Amino acid sequence: MASRKEGSGAAGGGFGSAKGKGKAAAAGDSAVKQVQIDGLVVLKIIKHYQEEGQGNEVVQGVLLGLVVDDRLEITNCFPFPQHTEDDADFDEVQYQMEMMRSLRHVNIDHLHVGWYQSTYYGSFVTRALLDSQFSYQHAIEESVVLIYDPIKTAQGSLSLKAYRLTPKLMEVCKEKDFSPEALKKANIAYENMFEEVPIVIKNSYLINVMLWELEKKSAVADRHELLSLASSNHLGKSLQLLMDRVDEMSQDIVKYNTYLRNVSKQQQQKHQYQQRRQQENIQRQSRGEPPLPEEDINKLFKPPQPPPRMESLLIAGQINTYCQNIKEFNAQNLGKLFMAQALQDYNN
Amino acid sequence: MSRFFTTGSDSESESSASGDETAPKAAGGPYSKPLLLSEDEEDTKRVVRSARDKRYEELTNLIRSIRNAMKIRDVSRCLEEFELLGRAWAKAKGVVDREGVPRFYLRILADLEDYLNELWEDKEGKKKMNKNNAKALSSLRQKLRKYNRDYEGQIAAYRQNPEQSDEDEEKSRRDSEGSGSSSGAEDDAGNFLKRRERDEPRSRYKESESEPESESDEDWGDSASESDSESDEDDGKFTSLASKFLKKDEERRGAERRREEKAKKKLERKSRREEEEEEEEGGEWEKVKGGVPLIKEKPKMFAKGTEITVGLVMKKLNEILQARGKKGTDRAAQIELLQHLVAVAHEHQLGVPLELKIKFNIVASLYDYNPNLAAYMKAELWQRCLGCIEELLELLFAHPEIFVGENVLEESENLSNPEQPFRVRGCVLTLVERMDEEFTKIMQNTDPHSQEYVEHLKDEARVCGIIGRLQRYLQAKGSPEELCRVYLLRVLHTYYKFDYAAARRRQVRPRPQVSPGPQVSPGPQVSPGPQVSPDPQEKEKEDEEKEKQEEEEEEEDSEALMERLCRFVYAKDRTDRIRTCAILCHIYHHALHSRWYRARDLMLMSHLQDNIQHADPPVQILYNRTMVQLGICAFRQGLIKDAHNALLDIQSSGRAKELLGQGLLLRSLQERNAEQEKVEKRRQVPFHMHVNLELLECVYLVAAMLLEIPYMAAHEFDARRRMISKQFHHQLRVGERQPLLGPPESMREHVVAASKAMKTGDWRRCHRFVVNEKMNGKVWDLFPEADQVRAMLVRKIQEESLRTYLFTYSSVYDSISMETLAAMFELDLPTVHGIISKMIINEELMASLDQPTATVMMHRTEPTATQNLALQLAEKLGNLVENNERVLDQRQGAYGGYFRDQKDGGYRKGDGYLRRGGFRQERGNY
Repeated sequence: MASRKEGSGAAGGGFGSAKGKGKAAAAGDSAVKQVQIDGLVVLKIIKHYQEEGQGNEVVQGVLLGLVVDDRLEITNCFPFPQHTEDDADFDEVQYQMEMMRSLRHVNIDHLHVGWYQSTYYGSFVTRALLDSQFSYQHAIEESVVLIYDPIKTAQGSLSLKAYRLTPKLMEVCKEKDFSPEALKKANIAYENMFEEVPIVIKNSYLINVMLWELEKKSAVADRHELLSLASSNHLGKSLQLLMDRVDEMSQDIVKYNTYLRNVSKQQQQKHQYQQRRQQENIQRQSRGEPPLPEEDINKLFKPPQPPPRMESLLIAGQINTYCQNIKEFNAQNLGKLFMAQALQDYNN
Repeated sequence: MSRFFTTGSDSESESSASGDETAPKAAGGPYSKPLLLSEDEEDTKRVVRSARDKRYEELTNLIRSIRNAMKIRDVSRCLEEFELLGRAWAKAKGVVDREGVPRFYLRILADLEDYLNELWEDKEGKKKMNKNNAKALSSLRQKLRKYNRDYEGQIAAYRQNPEQSDEDEEKSRRDSEGSGSSSGAEDDAGNFLKRRERDEPRSRYKESESEPESESDEDWGDSASESDSESDEDDGKFTSLASKFLKKDEERRGAERRREEKAKKKLERKSRREEEEEEEEGGEWEKVKGGVPLIKEKPKMFAKGTEITVGLVMKKLNEILQARGKKGTDRAAQIELLQHLVAVAHEHQLGVPLELKIKFNIVASLYDYNPNLAAYMKAELWQRCLGCIEELLELLFAHPEIFVGENVLEESENLSNPEQPFRVRGCVLTLVERMDEEFTKIMQNTDPHSQEYVEHLKDEARVCGIIGRLQRYLQAKGSPEELCRVYLLRVLHTYYKFDYAAARRRQVRPRPQVSPGPQVSPGPQVSPGPQVSPDPQEKEKEDEEKEKQEEEEEEEDSEALMERLCRFVYAKDRTDRIRTCAILCHIYHHALHSRWYRARDLMLMSHLQDNIQHADPPVQILYNRTMVQLGICAFRQGLIKDAHNALLDIQSSGRAKELLGQGLLLRSLQERNAEQEKVEKRRQVPFHMHVNLELLECVYLVAAMLLEIPYMAAHEFDARRRMISKQFHHQLRVGERQPLLGPPESMREHVVAASKAMKTGDWRRCHRFVVNEKMNGKVWDLFPEADQVRAMLVRKIQEESLRTYLFTYSSVYDSISMETLAAMFELDLPTVHGIISKMIINEELMASLDQPTATVMMHRTEPTATQNLALQLAEKLGNLVENNERVLDQRQGAYGGYFRDQKDGGYRKGDGYLRRGGFRQERGNY
């Protein structure tokens, strides 16, 4: 608490700029319009991944903080232990409560305001994330999920994003109805499933001062990773992942297609049946017999189970994220390449 | 008399009759037949009986077994017997109509009813009864009630006065039949069953002549007991010894006591019996004294002093044979008897044909010794069988004038008449075939890792010897069909043996100091292992000619032998099966001796691959063995692709063991029942004929490695790449999953490690992994020409590593000198040149050769990894859009057709565009 009081006001700092672009407008009707993160939290998240995450394994943790007006201030966090098959009886809730209690004893914010997760090439738009964010938001309305992309960070620019589920999606999730009709009614598309909340990173004045000092001392050469031209690996991986998702999407569509075909086929059958029944009844009437009773047509024709569409929405969202990533990456790379060319020309 | 006949209530009969149960039960059981041995006994037996007697006997027998079942409270058995009784009764209807319902029948009905009622009342007992019995009880009770309704009046009458009516009937019958005819009395006995049963033991144990019965009764009782108990006791013995009737100890003791007595009186009786024969009609008194004439002394087959003639022996033989196959026949005793008979025949010099005939039968009985198909011969019997067949063959060779055939009818046999050609029924070939089967069975049932197995395997030489001799015999006399069969036998014993002698000859021949030609045979073949034991030549008692012939055969190596035999079979055989087997064996033999092209041609020409699935399982197993051998042969010759193809079917299923008949898989245990398992067990190939499974798998995996690794390198970015060998990939994956890679231990690990080395083009490491001490011991040394195979392997590894290297690293070279490559892979320049040229021609490598500098110039036409990915992505997106359009079509309904047509056109164009980069797939047909 003390730290927050000290450092209100100055935003930004040595740690790159905040990523508050774009979706600010979408956050208009949400409870949280801005996320302010303490430098400590950022460093802790990075450290957590550095120490425990590797490859495409994901690390997760809990965010602690407070809500001030429409601004969510995240002042501390603690990691979840890595899940292994062996300790299935590990009680997560128990652990969280313990942690929070302990932190409270040392006078640290102990209000649960969300969670963070690392990601592998931006593949975080998954069902698991959706579900847990839903339960968070359901319980604590202001909670956010922070997505930390270690790979991009390694390339020289910190990538940390805060997401929340849109109120629309919250409604749908509450209903637990992911049929095509329900989604259509809710007017949900992959673009408006998540909203990104702008982030501000804030440090105490003293830290800022020190950072300025450090920046002066450090040589430019230390930050050469920004200029790295080797791009094919990253791009290849991203493409591979994108392709996998596209494949899944294809399958999903095929499934949906089959469903539609089945529905229409059944519709036809139903129609035929009704017509036959009608004709028969007309005949019977002409013979003076009582008409056959109208049976429940839905009992005769059980409508095919509609495939849940949430998956495909998520995949679409994921594809979108990949595309954004690739686009961003390529834009940067192109710039670098032009720069390199110019340099070469100049040297020659 | 009344004492015995107041047995209306079953409780009494139960207690009184249990002591002498054995005899009636055994006789009554429809299962056992006595071994009929003596003529005199036969005489009494072979009396023509009236229909009435026959029926009544049947009934009484059944009744006896019902009573037995009642005594042991086996209700389900009761039910069975009762049903049989009902049937027999229906049969006897005619007789009954004439004579009225016999007393004994009424009695059993009444008794049974009482008995059942009692059981029914006894609630506690019922509870204790097992399920089957309880069920049987209720159903039997119902049936009986229904049944008895028909005889209600008579039964009631009987119940009122059981003994009275008995006596009446007895008297009347006695009048009608007269007391002299012993045969009639015997069968009537059912009526007096109980009485007689009680008489017998008494007369035996007490030796009391003074019976409480009247004279006339005595007459009945004992003429019946004479003839009946003869068989009864014989039977009693057999059943208590051989078959497994459950009997009370008491009974058995009783039987034993009786037998002891019999033994004492044996000699006495024997003489007496002869007397009796003559005086049969005479004093009954004496017969009683004699008790029961018994034929115990089996070995003594002919009465002393009888002149033994062919006819007599034949009769005896038939007698013995009649008991064959029946239950309760002591098979061991039968064999003994037959052997004794042979000795007798030999002793009296009744002629070779007769001996032959009996010998045939001995062998047949030896085969019969085991009741079921699964059991195998005991070692001792097996030796006897072999000896017997050898003797048989010797006889046949010694007397070529005797005609032996299975088509000789019993009637047209000529065993004794020297004027006409001797004709004997019997087929040596069948016997030998059966012997071969028995041998296989013995081998199947012996633990292959025991000394015993080796001991048994030594008999293989004898088996082969017998087959060889039979072959010579049939070559002289047999029909083509028979010859085909015996040739097949010979082939089946030859094809899987590697001809070391011939191989050595072939190695020796090129050397100048040894004169070429078949004369340099290395003498008696020395077999390095038991599985290659050659035809034995140490046959004594062979005349010179035959020896020469045999030697000739020895001389000709197995290749020529196989060729000769198989050709004959191909030409002469009319049954498809023998020819198929012969072809397969021939191919196997070729393959075993590395005559790949001949083996392959034969396989292709026979078209067996197309229709083998219609063959029976043993032939299919043989086919699988052949294919495997063919594959291994191709591998030895360095024809990796052929090897892989041949082995693919067997290996890809993962059931090589089962397919080759070399063991059952455990996992399919639930899929088959015990019966199937037995059948499958019978199909197993004996251990000494096994194909080494590890060798097989190793050959397959190495072949797959040599094919797959370069292919994988060439198609690294190809989305549509197909696996050549799933199993190999599986092994690779297993290897990858290891968290910690130690040095390879098993054969598979070696191959996986080698594959990894090859992937980077490191042929030396690859070579080290494939050929090293461990692998030599496990696999490569099993080949006859191990060094050649190893040399071939090194060479292949070098070549394929070179190709892999070029595929993998061509993108980092602008040009590379062939000399460098040659040095890297220790290949000579022309080979490298050849390989690279081939790759360029096949469009596997985008490069050109620069002749003057001997370098390979790489062309940069390959799309980079990213480009490849982009192409794939575009393709996938195309699919996605197409699918999406279809969804739209659904919405649009009828209009969809129009749209789709247009869209499809568009995509096709797009496809063409994609294809430009996709040439890799088209030529990916390595």
